[in-house]
Amino acid sequence: MYKDNREFMKALEAAGELVTIDQEVDWDMEAGAIVRKVCEDKAPSPLMNKIKDYPGHRYLGAPLANYRKLAIAMGMDPDSSIPEIAAEYLERTNREPVKPVIVEKDQAPCKENIITGDDVDLFTLPAPMVHEGDGGRYLATWHFVVTKDPDKQEVNWGMYRQMVYNSKIMTGPLFPFSGGGQVFHGKYVPRGEAMPFATVIGPDPLGAIAGSAPTAIPEPEYTGQLLGKPVELVKCETVDLEVPANAEIIIEGYILPDVSIEEGPFGEYTGYRTSPRDTRTVYQVTAITHRNDPITTISNMGVPTDEGQLLRSFTLGLEMDRMLRNQGIPITGVYMLPESTHHLVVVGVKPLYTNIAAQIAQTVFGSSLGMWFHMVVVVDDKTDIYNFNEVLHALSTRCHPVNGIHVWQGVGTPLYPFLSAAERKKSVGPKVLFDCTFPLDWDPLSEVPRLVSFKTVYPQEIQDKVLANWEKYGFTK
Amino acid sequence: MARYDVFINSLADLPEGKEVQLAIRDLSPGIHKYCYQDVLAMVSPDPEKYDEKMQVRYGRGQAHPQLFSIKIQENVERIPERWR
Repeated sequence: MYKDNREFMKALEAAGELVTIDQEVDWDMEAGAIVRKVCEDKAPSPLMNKIKDYPGHRYLGAPLANYRKLAIAMGMDPDSSIPEIAAEYLERTNREPVKPVIVEKDQAPCKENIITGDDVDLFTLPAPMVHEGDGGRYLATWHFVVTKDPDKQEVNWGMYRQMVYNSKIMTGPLFPFSGGGQVFHGKYVPRGEAMPFATVIGPDPLGAIAGSAPTAIPEPEYTGQLLGKPVELVKCETVDLEVPANAEIIIEGYILPDVSIEEGPFGEYTGYRTSPRDTRTVYQVTAITHRNDPITTISNMGVPTDEGQLLRSFTLGLEMDRMLRNQGIPITGVYMLPESTHHLVVVGVKPLYTNIAAQIAQTVFGSSLGMWFHMVVVVDDKTDIYNFNEVLHALSTRCHPVNGIHVWQGVGTPLYPFLSAAERKKSVGPKVLFDCTFPLDWDPLSEVPRLVSFKTVYPQEIQDKVLANWEKYGFTK
Repeated sequence: MARYDVFINSLADLPEGKEVQLAIRDLSPGIHKYCYQDVLAMVSPDPEKYDEKMQVRYGRGQAHPQLFSIKIQENVERIPERWR
């Protein structure tokens, strides 16, 4: 497993998933455009070694934007299947949490350069202008923000975007339903106190995955589960927090409780600039520390597939899998499609009783995961949830337009592109279930339609014979 | 080329002949490009009326087809004093 992003990059390169760009790249949209095209083409991650105006700085784009890169991050064969990666992820995260260890400053590469006080200037870091028309330069697109509950001392790592406003201020949305947002809006704001934060740019890949995962386990321990060993942390310079010692760049400071400043718009994971510019949370910066020749990680959100879509889909789906199994519901698996920008989840289930699809939808929509998606498709245990063709066929042929589609009002992210301005303001989120199971009171022999496919309508001996002769017939295998 | 740009919800946010508080971005080349300034300013849809030209953008980033002009009267501090 990799101690930092640099070791991960070597593994990406060995697997053909890294392209090194030595010619100068402009931070003002060119780097963003490269990363955007990489996401849309599912191309290797670009390592950009020369950035205009920023000698000594480098970029790594789209570090985890496809399943091969995710498999590599997990230390697996790059060609592992999605179910294999999912099984490995669930196996590791079902183990005991692994507490982090604190290392001394001289053991922490992220302390190779320390800038505090009046010397702090966010513009000395190569925050890219990711998309034309964005509200500003986004330093934090693939990163996590460290915060701590002032009472329980529980640490949270969350991926909340941050725009550079001026030399010492960043702004960004910190929604009340996010881990860090709950503590900020629920505890610091009522007390009129500023909340310490530390933004970690260029963490190791599993730390980044933990930062984007919807887990109740403190993310440093969750990362330890994924790594199979403790994460090494180091104390910050100006706030009472700890950060990964091997990260590339750390930005420390305080989130102010009684002021909001404009942020956005920004190209978002839904593939649109949905949320208009608005006043949002203010991050006042007190220190910057970074490695020598630091590598700023860039995720470029837009149409699929970027790492936000892929990893949120992956982790949301697997948390739902864990939750539904814990409830004793006989599911066969859960798969959230990254192409749906983590809005559509497919659940396979053995339909043992009537309305089991509604039970599944109500359980997942009613959970803390529910605000991030609004479409649940429930298929039977014969349908391969990872096979898009099978799922689309089931949706198109088994879901009764009157009896099989159920709609609720719930809580949702304001980033849904289809919401009205009023719904967005209130975080209202309509939800829909597509029940693609046939009614249980239909007689299986005389009433349930027979699926006509190679696997289902031919006797096994005929299937075996055809498969054994396939190449003799003249087909390629 | 505009020296500044500004994001608005509608053109009514830019009344001519009245001092208005704006968060504008400096578009000058260099590492501080896109740095925000909070200012009190006079603005006009006539790009020649004031010394500096300003690009106007709407809330989701789309650019208004014509440049405005701007005269900065003074800078504004928005961070409460106890946090400065």
